[in-house]
Amino acid sequence: MEFHKLSALDIAEGVKKGNWTASEVLSAHLQRIKKFDGQINAVVTLSEESADRDAKEIDKAVAEGRDPGPLAGVPFLVKDNFCTDGIRTTCCSKMLSDWIPDYDATAVKKMKEAGAVLMGKTNMDEFAMGSTTESSIFGPTLNPRDFDRVPGGSSGGSAAAVAAGFCPIALGSDTGGSVRQPSAFCGVQGMKPSYGQISRYGVVAYASSLDQVGPITRNMGDMAAVMEVLACADPNDTTCDSYKRPSFSEAALEGIKGKKIAMLTGYDAESMDRPLIEAIERAADYCRSAGAEIVEAELPITMKHAVACYYMVALGDASSKLACFDGMRYGHHADGRSLAEMYKRSRNEGFGKEVRKRILIGTCILTRGYYENYYVPATKVRQMIADEYAELFKNVDALICPITPALPYKKGLVEEDPVRIYLGDAFSSIANLAGLPSISLNVGFTEEGLPTNVQLMGPRFGDAGLLAFARSIENKAGSPQVADIENKGGCGE
Amino acid sequence: MNRETVIGLEIHLQLKTKSKLFCSCSSDYIGATPNTNICPVCLAVPGTLPILNDHAVALAVKIGLALHCSISDNTRFHRKHYFYADLPKAYQITQYEHPIAVKGYVDIFAEGKEKRIRVHHLHLEEDAGKLVHPTSDGRLTGAAYSLVDYNRGGMPLSEIVSEPDMNSAEEVIAYITQIRQLARYLEVSDGEMESGSLRVDVNVSHSNPDGSLGTRVEIKNVNSLKSIERALEYEIARQNKVLDEGGHLAQETRLWDDVAGVTRSMRSKEGERDYRYYVEMDLAPISAGSEYVRKISESLPEMPWEKLDRFIKEYSISLEESLRLTEQKETADYFEACVSEGAPPIKCANWMHMEVQRILHDLSIGINDFPVPAAELGKLIIKVEKRELSNTQAKDVLAVMVEKKASLQDAVRLSGVSDGKISGAALEEAVKKVLDSEPEAVKAVRDGNDKKGAKVKFLRGLVMRETRGSADPAEVSQVVVSLLK
Ligand SMILES: [Zn+2]
Repeated sequence: MEFHKLSALDIAEGVKKGNWTASEVLSAHLQRIKKFDGQINAVVTLSEESADRDAKEIDKAVAEGRDPGPLAGVPFLVKDNFCTDGIRTTCCSKMLSDWIPDYDATAVKKMKEAGAVLMGKTNMDEFAMGSTTESSIFGPTLNPRDFDRVPGGSSGGSAAAVAAGFCPIALGSDTGGSVRQPSAFCGVQGMKPSYGQISRYGVVAYASSLDQVGPITRNMGDMAAVMEVLACADPNDTTCDSYKRPSFSEAALEGIKGKKIAMLTGYDAESMDRPLIEAIERAADYCRSAGAEIVEAELPITMKHAVACYYMVALGDASSKLACFDGMRYGHHADGRSLAEMYKRSRNEGFGKEVRKRILIGTCILTRGYYENYYVPATKVRQMIADEYAELFKNVDALICPITPALPYKKGLVEEDPVRIYLGDAFSSIANLAGLPSISLNVGFTEEGLPTNVQLMGPRFGDAGLLAFARSIENKAGSPQVADIENKGGCGE
Repeated sequence: MNRETVIGLEIHLQLKTKSKLFCSCSSDYIGATPNTNICPVCLAVPGTLPILNDHAVALAVKIGLALHCSISDNTRFHRKHYFYADLPKAYQITQYEHPIAVKGYVDIFAEGKEKRIRVHHLHLEEDAGKLVHPTSDGRLTGAAYSLVDYNRGGMPLSEIVSEPDMNSAEEVIAYITQIRQLARYLEVSDGEMESGSLRVDVNVSHSNPDGSLGTRVEIKNVNSLKSIERALEYEIARQNKVLDEGGHLAQETRLWDDVAGVTRSMRSKEGERDYRYYVEMDLAPISAGSEYVRKISESLPEMPWEKLDRFIKEYSISLEESLRLTEQKETADYFEACVSEGAPPIKCANWMHMEVQRILHDLSIGINDFPVPAAELGKLIIKVEKRELSNTQAKDVLAVMVEKKASLQDAVRLSGVSDGKISGAALEEAVKKVLDSEPEAVKAVRDGNDKKGAKVKFLRGLVMRETRGSADPAEVSQVVVSLLK
């Protein structure tokens, strides 16, 4: 049995029916990780002992006739900025390299309660700041579809792990595209739910008003199932909405006949990689053939200001949320003759170059004078962007647009052309600014085997409806297969 | 010279909630072992988020309403950033642009008249931890290391910011006293400066002849009413001297040195920190709807000033007496319970002011610990009114009630004043006392040297005086004779 090619739902069904055990599934996945992760470096910490124990618990529940949960025996990995009880949580930074939390993030807890088995932690850009997963203290992750390219970031390890068949589900965090852009680069499905859909409790923050937990899977059926497990109110996170969630799995099965979907126009398509434009046209065709009506939409304010606005909001908040890392109670500590010197040395030594850069820019943005000229206008523009979308979704059910302007970058581009990489967030960061649900959906591969994903966006808390759109397209486009890492990349057999 | 001192205050009240402002840690931290009253949230462990304590919001609204403020229906928290060891997040969650209550006032009595002090706003914020420096004077200077105790970190504070409406130390003291009284009436805070549940920062400036305000100086580290008074006296004189000599005042924060009796510059405006205030996105905006505010408004107790007016009108007692009685809610409650027994209000007020106050003072206790129930004191006062007891007797009875924790009935019996007479054991006690004080006469009688009975008569007379004439002369003779045997 090639367990690593199965979907999460198939694994769970087999475990529940007794076709195979959670322990067998786990050991197959662990073996695959051990065999191939030396090449792509997606996993930074494996917790075999606890995983083994959890899998045995599931098998025991099945044997005793108890309900093992909807994700029974499904092995999963989480980005290394999710707090995991007893497992080190480093944010891939020297700052937290030896930090072991004593609690599980709510999302991790929910997955475990649903019967999923946590195997370990995945690689990421340090403190989720980056789009290439090259700034980790554990070294870069390679793209399983093409080892010469980056997996995207910052949840590059999670996306690469799902693409490589290390697990059918991985969790990431998405502040400006950090789940969806690596999903696009690795050719898997990634979702950033509406802000307030999933609890952020236990996810080390980057920017409070933008961060959202996002699942990465290889098909929309699994995506809907994970959403159903994760989306719920949490007394530990009051920004997580308390509204009654619909059944995402049922909603995802609904058709889109008669629905209206907008294709974004008015952006510089010429500067984009051609296969990605074709991917959007393909996705629109799939929608049409599923009975949806396609219209065009322009979002002038958004397209002009989103990236600048995003960096103002995100970096301002990052400078604030990362201020707690002073080396006094946890994390890297360096001595000094005064408190100020201890702080300076601890932070200078503990944070990497990109993180320090973003903290400095963010601090500057919030400083008197700059605050009024940069941060305040950015929050106003942010509201205008949200309004522009609210207006759009009065008339249409969903929007199709690019998720990235480019195919996966070659390794090292971040050093050569960092601005190009920042601009790469133009399409993905919008959903975070406006708090909207967004899915990065694979609609096939180029001739060279590089993935082409599109972005689907919907109205706030319209996550269920958006899953239906994605599923309908996926039904026509097919869901991506596990990468052929045995042969150094590719779109799979 | 039309220069007048202008003073505004920032008063921090520690709110009496069960738990801290943003986590479930107990608020009962005083005396706890350092760093035992903490949790991942108030230690800023990565991944944790603040959860607003609704009770703290309700208490702040309560104070806001009592101060005649309007309650904002859309209030938010901000982050105030600074790096220091007492602040684990490196920002304090406070309210900045959208405080919970704005534009109120409170009336005070000072310098013999009533004055209205406007309240600019009231906001909620979390307290910081506490630094302990292991030097002999507890100061940072010279300390080889410092310790930090996070037990207090995250405690709920309500900061009340006044307009610069006060002009003298007396007004300042009256204002603080009024706020403290209010806090205690509302049962929202202990309001104790000694334990730090009420803290004051003083802003001193002056008004120019053209009506504009001069440079503002903030005084910190004033930890008692006495030091506020002294600090103000010093600072007002200092500012006047500088201005009289044609100098300029710096906008600065000055620390009061209670030992030296001076204020010292701590930091100037130029060095003022930029706290990089901005909206706390981890907490949703709070909307205190009109229904919520109405409910709290209805739950408000009678305000001290309302009680004061009512006492004057309802009980026909003086302003001075009313002020004394209403200073503490518990005293006022005791008084009213006393009166409700049917005792005359003026008499009750006198008894409370004189006798009860004296006993409380002697025993160093508060009215809550006074062992005599109000109803019993009321009944005792009624006995005096009915001339069943003299004033002096009643005081003795009260003393027994306090000492022996006796009921009125038992105390009357124990002090031997039943039916207005001293007899039995009480009389015996009085006789013994007299005999002990006159050993020569006693010896003479016992040695048989009182043939004419003059010495016995003399002793009997002393007993009558000792019992203030309230003993039966025949019984006195009998007791004297029997004890002389
Ligand atoms: Zn706590």
